[in-house]
Amino acid sequence: MQNFLNKLKTMLKVDFKRMFTMPLVYIMAGVSLAMPILILVMTSMMGGSEDGAAMFTNVWQAISSVSGGESAGMSMDLTTMCNMNLMYFLIAVLVCVFTAEDFRSGYAKNLFTVRAKKVDYVFSKSLVCFTGGAIMILAYFIGAMLGGAIAGLPFTTEGFNAGGIIACLFAKIFLVAVFVAIFLTFAVVAKQRTWLSILLSIGVGAFMFMMIPMMTPLNATFIHVVMTLAGGAIFAVALGAVSNLILNKTSLV
Amino acid sequence: MNAIEIRNLTKNFGQKQALNGLNMTVPQGAIYGFIGENGSGKSTTEKIICGLIHPSGGEVKLFGKDYKDAEVRSKIGVLIESPGCFPNYSVWNNMMLQAANLGIANAEEEVRKVLQVVHMEGSASNKYKNCSLGMKQRIGIAFALLGNPALLILDEPINGLDADGMRIMREVLTGVTKNYNCTVVISSHILGELEKIATHYGIVRGGKMIAEMTAEELNANCPTFVALKAKDTATAKAALERKYSRVETDEEGYIRIYDGVKAEEVVSYLYNGLNIAVTEIKTNKIGLEEYYIDLMKEGR
Repeated sequence: MQNFLNKLKTMLKVDFKRMFTMPLVYIMAGVSLAMPILILVMTSMMGGSEDGAAMFTNVWQAISSVSGGESAGMSMDLTTMCNMNLMYFLIAVLVCVFTAEDFRSGYAKNLFTVRAKKVDYVFSKSLVCFTGGAIMILAYFIGAMLGGAIAGLPFTTEGFNAGGIIACLFAKIFLVAVFVAIFLTFAVVAKQRTWLSILLSIGVGAFMFMMIPMMTPLNATFIHVVMTLAGGAIFAVALGAVSNLILNKTSLV
Repeated sequence: MNAIEIRNLTKNFGQKQALNGLNMTVPQGAIYGFIGENGSGKSTTEKIICGLIHPSGGEVKLFGKDYKDAEVRSKIGVLIESPGCFPNYSVWNNMMLQAANLGIANAEEEVRKVLQVVHMEGSASNKYKNCSLGMKQRIGIAFALLGNPALLILDEPINGLDADGMRIMREVLTGVTKNYNCTVVISSHILGELEKIATHYGIVRGGKMIAEMTAEELNANCPTFVALKAKDTATAKAALERKYSRVETDEEGYIRIYDGVKAEEVVSYLYNGLNIAVTEIKTNKIGLEEYYIDLMKEGR
């Protein structure tokens, strides 16, 4: 156990260093910050369009929808499509590019030659990608606040309160763990083929896209937070084991 | 105890059989020249030893233990295809990452030491992507040397090296085997260079080991020959063929007689007996390259 923890510690040190010394995470955080600003400012400039598309009527719609509200659940209007949930697709890009780089550069080859066990790699990669994803979610949140202020949208809360928003944000962050586990599994399947891992991740992510508003509404409660936390942990462990198995059973070069 | 012991190793890639019951024995402390044509199974064998691909069958033991054993695997240094560096990182940062992965306590000191060994200490701050091919090969060796490995697996490490780079490589490899009892498996097509350092050889063809020998055994297997040029080459060759069993003409036009004869005896036979003047004559021994080519020809 001590040996595993030591190896995990060094692996985490390396992965965190890599994550935060490569431009990818900053580009992704920048895009996450800019995206809601652009969405909110541009849609407010298009306000009252003739096609009757639903526009943002308050800032919080850029984060999520209210459970039981008009745009919750399965509805696919502009506010449910263009909100924070889009981040999960960008997180797919982050996870896939970050992991594929290990295989493309030959780093994975060096690593797995000296390390027979892959579980610390999977664990570390999951945690580091989760951190990167959480940063993107937070960057989007800040962007939404800035964008809302620039666009002059109201910060009024109807059908939810500040506690709900905080719970929603936590639920969205914990949900990142679920998606990271899925994306990481595809990334280790595809190895250096970044395009394949992104394609698989976005394809499967699109199926799960529908459930995000239900799991993370603006009027989220403690239950939503616990459920997404538990879901994140279960997915991370279960799919982590699958990723570990894939690495143990397939060729690494 | 042998550093590597492989028995009946097989590997299939779909319908293609890359390894067909390969056996290999590498004694501890050896510099093992692993030779074969492209696609003969050298890299596949090396990748299996490193745990990067899984064999279809057979047994691989490293230092008497299964090749999957975590302790044994931590003793391997590897350079297969490329050093495995991040292109946008400096040489130093790449090395430090690998040192961290290996759990080296005094990482900075160790990295500085291996960079000095490969004469790259002055280029540590260079971005890896800006390094020349030769520099990248040296970095790859430095990577492999990190953590004082007991077994070095090097796939084509001298490709792209200049004369000085090759000299450094020779020094490094002979140094690590002498000073650290490190075992080196080195595959290369530059046989002349390999011959200068290898203590053992393994020759692989079609996924099978066709010959394994020590440098002394190779030396004994490589026959000496007399090479000569005469005024009338055709007549001389015909006369020599009547007297000796193995007479050949090489690509430079020399007539070679392999029967362990002495140069004086040949000159005497041609000039005194047949009045054929010899214009040039030398005694030589075939090297690894010719031995290997002959061995490959036999199998065709």
